[in-house]
Amino acid sequence: MPDTSTSRAPGRLNLSPAPHLGASLSTSRMTWLVSLALVPAAVWGVFLFGFPAVRVIVTSLCAALISELASSALFRRFTLGDGSGFLTGLLVGLMMPAGVPLYVPAAAAAFGILVVKQSFGGLGRNWMNPALGGVVFALLSWSGAMTRWPAAGGASMSTAVLPPLEALRSAVSAPGAVGRPLDILSSHGYVFSSLDGSIVSWLNAHILSPFHATLAGGSFDIIVGYVPGRIGEVSAPLLLLGAAFLVSRRIVRWQVPVAFVATFAFLAWVFGGFAGGQGWFSGGPVFHVLSGSLILSAFFMAGDPVTSPLASTGKWIYGTGLGLLTFLLRFYGSLGDGVAVSILLGNCAVPLLDTLLQQRMPARARKGSG
Amino acid sequence: MTHANSLPRGGVNPPDSSLISREAAIANAVVPSVAVIPMLQHSGRAAICVVKPGDLVREGMLIGRADGVRSANVHSSIPGRVVEVRRLPSQGGCDAVVIELGGEFDRSGKPRTLHGWEKLSRIDLLGKIQSAGVVGLGGELVPTHLKLAMTPGKTGSLLVANGIDCEPSLSADFALMREKPGEIVEALRICQALVGAARVVLALGEDAEGLVPEFERAFKRASLQCEIALMPSRYPQGNEQLVLSSLDGARPSGPRPSSVVLNVATLFAVYEAVVMDKPLIERVLTVTGMPVAAPRNLKARLGTPVGDLFDDCGGLTAQPGKIVVGGPMRGVAISSLDVPVTKGTSGVTAFAGAEARARREWPCIHCGICVEVCPWDLVPTRLHKLIQQGEVETAMSEGLGRCTECGCCAFACPSHIPLVDILRTGKRSRGRANDA
Amino acid sequence: MTPSEVLSRGIARENPTAVLLLGLCPAAAVSVRVIDSLWMSAGVFSVMLLSSFCMALVARGRMDKGEIGPGAAAGGWLGALVLSSFLTASFELVLLSVAPEASAALGIYAPLIAVNCLVLTVIGESSRASSPGRALLDAAGKGAGFAACLLLIGVLREVLGAGTITLFPLPGFSGTFVIGSLAHDPARAFGFAGGGLLCLGYLAALARAVKERRL
Repeated sequence: MPDTSTSRAPGRLNLSPAPHLGASLSTSRMTWLVSLALVPAAVWGVFLFGFPAVRVIVTSLCAALISELASSALFRRFTLGDGSGFLTGLLVGLMMPAGVPLYVPAAAAAFGILVVKQSFGGLGRNWMNPALGGVVFALLSWSGAMTRWPAAGGASMSTAVLPPLEALRSAVSAPGAVGRPLDILSSHGYVFSSLDGSIVSWLNAHILSPFHATLAGGSFDIIVGYVPGRIGEVSAPLLLLGAAFLVSRRIVRWQVPVAFVATFAFLAWVFGGFAGGQGWFSGGPVFHVLSGSLILSAFFMAGDPVTSPLASTGKWIYGTGLGLLTFLLRFYGSLGDGVAVSILLGNCAVPLLDTLLQQRMPARARKGSG
Repeated sequence: MTHANSLPRGGVNPPDSSLISREAAIANAVVPSVAVIPMLQHSGRAAICVVKPGDLVREGMLIGRADGVRSANVHSSIPGRVVEVRRLPSQGGCDAVVIELGGEFDRSGKPRTLHGWEKLSRIDLLGKIQSAGVVGLGGELVPTHLKLAMTPGKTGSLLVANGIDCEPSLSADFALMREKPGEIVEALRICQALVGAARVVLALGEDAEGLVPEFERAFKRASLQCEIALMPSRYPQGNEQLVLSSLDGARPSGPRPSSVVLNVATLFAVYEAVVMDKPLIERVLTVTGMPVAAPRNLKARLGTPVGDLFDDCGGLTAQPGKIVVGGPMRGVAISSLDVPVTKGTSGVTAFAGAEARARREWPCIHCGICVEVCPWDLVPTRLHKLIQQGEVETAMSEGLGRCTECGCCAFACPSHIPLVDILRTGKRSRGRANDA
Repeated sequence: MTPSEVLSRGIARENPTAVLLLGLCPAAAVSVRVIDSLWMSAGVFSVMLLSSFCMALVARGRMDKGEIGPGAAAGGWLGALVLSSFLTASFELVLLSVAPEASAALGIYAPLIAVNCLVLTVIGESSRASSPGRALLDAAGKGAGFAACLLLIGVLREVLGAGTITLFPLPGFSGTFVIGSLAHDPARAFGFAGGGLLCLGYLAALARAVKERRL
């Protein structure tokens, strides 16, 4: 009888289940790309604040990486490859003022990794953004150190010492503060750079005068980021560049940051004018969007997929809620720029949003059944 | 010709290598020297084996009789002698007849006789289709006589010829439509005579737009009123329910009793059964993959070992790391090249190198991409977490039963979580619990 | 169960703060300084001890007389509350005279010992105890467990949150150890309620891990 079982053994074959193709974007790649997108803003921060900024960022990175290594060794896993520890360290470093004593970023990064992420099960299981958790811990623990602002750059640039938002706060409480935020600052002796002075006056004279509009002094500084502040938060254009790169690669979903910034800007415009004695619809939305860590937090931390809702509708609601909370905390609270705390509050609400919107999904599918 | 709506939502665009395989004409695969023909190649009960070792069989002879109405006949694809009746471990264990080639061919190489069918009654037509063992070749493998047995002339009824290849990289349906449009149209006429639908549609992928003129001519010649609907090439547009919902705009839902969707390969088998009195003993399939020297479509006999098909395509240029029966999205990986071609084999894909290796798995990062791509409005990440925690009933109440294991979620997942595997395990565990 | 087993149960397996999660409000609120933790533990310990003993005595009597019913139960709870309030008020007065600064630091949490869920739970269990002696041991065990946890959390919070350890002032000693480098710029978050809850949470997690032999 002929041999009917011709076993042509082609060597060992992989028997993993379908599908046998995968999208090229992997989780670790996504996270490393987010870190990459932060590099321009980090470089700008180092350029403005010098060697202290480098020290802060490096300390934060080391603390984050060591914490992650130590805690994942406990679970016998090596998780540094997924890039999230590095990202947390980088974000914590960028959210610090450059003059902060080094134990602050170290403790904040370690707190973020150990308490916020690893204690709950590691990547994907945290319900709060780790970097933000660490930053808020630092804000509560060392509020003095976290508000010690070094001047931006050398004497040739702006020699103001307070970031614009903090300066505005103290200026507004003084009597006689009227006008747009930047005008209030100028009238209270806030010093912008000479480059800003020349550019703004040129623009006012040659381009805006036919429209009878004037650009407030300091606009250039604020937009480009020649002002004091936290290391990574000052330069809006570079942050937006990184964010645009991430959105185009679909790593960050645009719904949350855009809803966040838009809601906040709208509310700041409608209601924000009262502080400066201007009335309705005359708050300075551009000033408020560009000051504080709004851009950095909205695009790089509120957009973090682990702590945002799953459904698109949920993302819109979440972003809008964050904008509202930030507006309330910044204008009527005493917590600095209000962004970090509002994102943390929003993170708490995300599971609720997920559950509420999930219940609706099967009903939507049922509607079309024949 | 109309451009139908796209998929209501979801779907993915995996890399599609079907353009390479569709270039060449369909070639006949070499007749196997040994054919292994399982008794269960359809949905429903396995056929009952009616031959024993030592019997001589002819090409097209019945070797397995359908076990009741919800079953199908199985025929021998080659002439020869039955060597043994082997027990195959797959599909919960079924018998397979092993036939050694020998003797004369009754059909191949002989002139074909075409029979008229217009004078046959409904019962006779359905009987011809049933006795030929025709089943749905698009993947569901439902015996076709069951699908066509619906009451004719129901209002709003729809008869659809599905010419969209169900998987990326597979182009068997496209090639068949390119080479046999007349036969497919004739089969569609037969089915329309049986079903009497109010509307007959041929669904094509957008990349098959070049076939439209030939089909329009064929419809005119056959005096068949048929629309042609072009649908975007997005996986899993070829799924039956998604084709229907793209045509009428409603969201995909369960089976619709007044619609009949038949794959073009099934239609061709209906033509062969009714007009040529030929049982289902061979089918067109795509052999593709990076290590295949010349990917192409082959007409292969049922029972051919998969390894033979690679030889017909110039062999493998590299050591394969993974071999899949079917396409890259839903195919099943096999461990030996002896696995036979069955009625449900729409293609064979080989992978080598990095493509074949398992991808590193990360934890779920809650990104929501799986929710965006699921065509069935499911939330795969939540379902998989529920199943992993043992909450299968909760998962079922959130729609796990609607999952067709299309693979879009697992394809798109950046953490490479084996979602389809987990969801399938969940569905099966519930099935077992129900049986218990 | 032997007496020593009853005692150790309250400290380890049924530790109120780390395992049973009873009496968490004062645990999170007053454990900012070590000295406050010690006084709070003393208060809870003494109130629990005496009230459970009395309750066990009284309940004994009631059960013997067959007075078991809804009315008796209500009367029982009323009696328990009166008992614990009386004892708490006594403790407060003692604290005020002996350590007024600690009394001010404890604030509202001293009178709240009367309705502390741990105290009430122990009183409730003591009314069903087999003997007043058993009830006493159970209360002592749980009180000791509470004290141990509070001490631990207090040390952690004060060292990290203020850089000091505050104990009883003695002649020639102000009562406060200052840890130089930490006291310069401590992590004040531990002084807030959130920091307290954090320590509590980790303590409970630690207890769980030990119980499930994961450590």
